[in-house]
Amino acid sequence: MDPKTAMYVAQGIHGLAYGMLLFLVASGLNIIFGMMGILNLAHASFFMLSAYFSYQFLSMTGNFWLARLLAPVATAFFGILLERFLLRKMHALGHLGELILTVGVSLVILAGVKIFWGTESLPLKIPPLLTGLVSIAGMSYPVYRLFVIGLALAVLAMMALLLYKTRLGKIVRAAVSDADMVNALGINIPLVFMFVFGVGTWLAGVAGVAIAPILLVFPGLADQMGMDAFVVVVTGGLGSLSGAFIVSIIFGLLSSYGVQFLSSLAPLLMFLFMAIVLAIKPTGFFGERE
Amino acid sequence: MTNKVSKWILWMVLLAVLAVYPKLFGIYYTNLFVTFAVFAIYSVSFNLLLGYTGLLSFGHAMFFGVGGYGTALALKHIHGLPLLPAVLFGLVSAAALALILCPLVVRVSGTAFAMLHLAFGQLLHMLAYKLRGITGGEDGIGGFPIPAFSIPGIVSVNMKAPENFYYFAIVVLAISLWIMWFFTKTPFGQIQVGVRDNAKRIDYLGFKVPQTKAVVYVVSGAFAGVAGSIYALFQNLISSGALDIFTSFAPITMTMVGGLGSFLGPVLGAAIIQMIEELTTRFTEQVELVVGLILILVIVFVPMGAVGLLQILKQKWLVRSAFKASLGKVS
Repeated sequence: MDPKTAMYVAQGIHGLAYGMLLFLVASGLNIIFGMMGILNLAHASFFMLSAYFSYQFLSMTGNFWLARLLAPVATAFFGILLERFLLRKMHALGHLGELILTVGVSLVILAGVKIFWGTESLPLKIPPLLTGLVSIAGMSYPVYRLFVIGLALAVLAMMALLLYKTRLGKIVRAAVSDADMVNALGINIPLVFMFVFGVGTWLAGVAGVAIAPILLVFPGLADQMGMDAFVVVVTGGLGSLSGAFIVSIIFGLLSSYGVQFLSSLAPLLMFLFMAIVLAIKPTGFFGERE
Repeated sequence: MTNKVSKWILWMVLLAVLAVYPKLFGIYYTNLFVTFAVFAIYSVSFNLLLGYTGLLSFGHAMFFGVGGYGTALALKHIHGLPLLPAVLFGLVSAAALALILCPLVVRVSGTAFAMLHLAFGQLLHMLAYKLRGITGGEDGIGGFPIPAFSIPGIVSVNMKAPENFYYFAIVVLAISLWIMWFFTKTPFGQIQVGVRDNAKRIDYLGFKVPQTKAVVYVVSGAFAGVAGSIYALFQNLISSGALDIFTSFAPITMTMVGGLGSFLGPVLGAAIIQMIEELTTRFTEQVELVVGLILILVIVFVPMGAVGLLQILKQKWLVRSAFKASLGKVS
């Protein structure tokens, strides 16, 4: 392979990996919005919290995989607490109440992280299995990024199965279209919503532990990734999982090729893309909800 | 009659306090007050959209930042530009931006409106951040000349003195506040509220909903621009930070804390937030924690904001005194 094609391919995989990570964060945000109509502005903070948890668990247990598994669960636990004791009261106030509340929660999480772990960047070691390079068709590529792509695909498949092939998924989808009716049929809707919120924050947690070894763990993590994920969800259409997936990939590729060709103007591409899409279709690519 | 008199007295006292404020509290608190006033006007302009027309914007910093940049760039590049035209530059550039955007944004409302503003707000922030040649990026444009306030042949006041600038800022912002207040009291302002409550009915009544929204939008943007312009002059600096998402969220929190839908609510909210930030920075590093906790507490326990709380207290007091009065009559 000549160097030019190799560069294109490498940038492509790079973009794909970033797109997949974006999708992991965005999918949680999206599920929570699509199912419950809650715009969770603290989502990225949960993502960051999970990265810190994985660092903490890793230094406590020394086992990479255990930390990996526990951190998202712990994050989801905090998410459920938030839903149960705060967000549930906000329904009467509508979107604005939820927005303000989640902004407040994100600020508290940011402050908490700074108090417990300090402001400096914390490195996270990758186990030997995932370090190093793998050579594909004559060019080498970091294993970890491929692992991230695989992980995201697995999560996507799992979410699709859960939503469309199980009884629980059926209930959740029914609750989306008419919560009152499902409630009247004897299904505990608040519990279902709590579960959905838990899954959403768990997804953020998974993304958090996945990204922790690539970027360092630092308090600005939420800002950096959160804005991008938010943009993805908005552009793809609020509540649309496939929209979020497609837009994540587009953004991943845009950012990696953008850096190659436009360098400093690359971040602009993403927002320009969003502005154009929203100007034409204000609900986003696949969005139906207002 | 007495009510009118007491109102007049109240205004006079307020005016007197504002007039002697710098002498009383010194330079530090004077500057703090100017910051408060800037954010109060910014929040009130935001509330024209949210409270009066029911449009939530996630990108109001656009107008604030563009207003600031308009003034800063004009002062930097046009030699010998007087002060008021410089502020006018800020107002006009923000209004122009609103005018450009309004054909796009008045068609939508609700979440789509908020998202569209997030998009354009972030786009502008990124542009300001990346186009270093024009905007100076993160470092911003600083040290542009601050002209003296002068009416040729009559008076010329040096604006580099903080005390003089205080008076100038307060007067400009008070005039903006008054215009916005007047705007909401006109018949047009009533249509605005109608659009918020039931856009369809307003449409049936023969008023043009998109055009109404467009006018409110431009007015709101223009006054956010004035706030940004004064802010840029006050700091003698404007940077891409003035366009970022935190600047967009500031008026949302201030409006919520103060009270949605009442005209002076955002002013009260700006005052409360400003005081909280000032006090917390004095005692602790954890400003975010305190602000976050306050947001949560406010939205959970006092969702109608400070003005709503005051109204409820007043209501209770009125009911109680009426009750006592009726008891007195019976016995």
